[in-house]
Amino acid sequence: MLNTLALIFIAIGLFFMVVGAVGLIRLPDFYTRAHASGKCDTLGEGMMLVGFILFEGMTLIAVKLLLLVIFIFITSPTAVHSLVNVAHSRNIAPWKKGEERQ
Amino acid sequence: MSLKGNGSPVARRIALFGILMIFWYTLSGFLDPFHLGAGALCCAIVTLISGDLIFRSKRSLFDSARIFIRFVLYIPQLLLEILYANIDVAYRILHPAMPIDPGLITIETEFTGDVLRTAFANSMTLTPGTVTVDVSGGTFTVHALVLETSQKELMETRDIQNHLAKIFDEAA
Repeated sequence: MLNTLALIFIAIGLFFMVVGAVGLIRLPDFYTRAHASGKCDTLGEGMMLVGFILFEGMTLIAVKLLLLVIFIFITSPTAVHSLVNVAHSRNIAPWKKGEERQ
Repeated sequence: MSLKGNGSPVARRIALFGILMIFWYTLSGFLDPFHLGAGALCCAIVTLISGDLIFRSKRSLFDSARIFIRFVLYIPQLLLEILYANIDVAYRILHPAMPIDPGLITIETEFTGDVLRTAFANSMTLTPGTVTVDVSGGTFTVHALVLETSQKELMETRDIQNHLAKIFDEAA
């Protein structure tokens, strides 16, 4: 039962990771790609780790995995923010609807 | 912001030492005297050297703990929002026509606390189709994947902003 739930979580996580990768290829410019990698990867990694926690059960490893989830949920958006921030301060213009993709 | 927290620096250091010890035990997993002793030594050194860098807010320890608990209670709602935002982004990425209309939005807040602004910026990055681009003072510049929807969500409901303001005892 718990294993099934774990597999579901891991599968959803994998789905979001794949979507993030597809987004990196399909989206038109740097900022929109940051959306794909920032959001989808965070949730994907988080969900996969939650799946691992369910798979592992109540052990110390599960606690470590939980710490990892918290770490990712703090650092991943921060890293994306700093990337986008640098792009913005270098005056990279965001893509507008109807323009050629960069 | 001043480097020293108000009130009892000793209590803050003891709290920091306790948290570090719990963290040490979680990572090591051994309860024998050697590992605990090594952990206590390391945690003591860290507490001595950087005890005044962590927990440097002007709030009392009790207030900080209250804010922390309220923030933890806010996390489930945040997770739901993140899930919703991700499904939205996934839909837009996988849709053959890619219905996106990106642009920059500016949000004015009166947030002053470092932790609060970080929490808000990270929440914005994770949730409603926006990535925080720039923070200066209480002004947040965000890049929205879909300009119209995000603008509506940000300007009208302002859920995250009000929630975080309430959690950290500040004006929205």
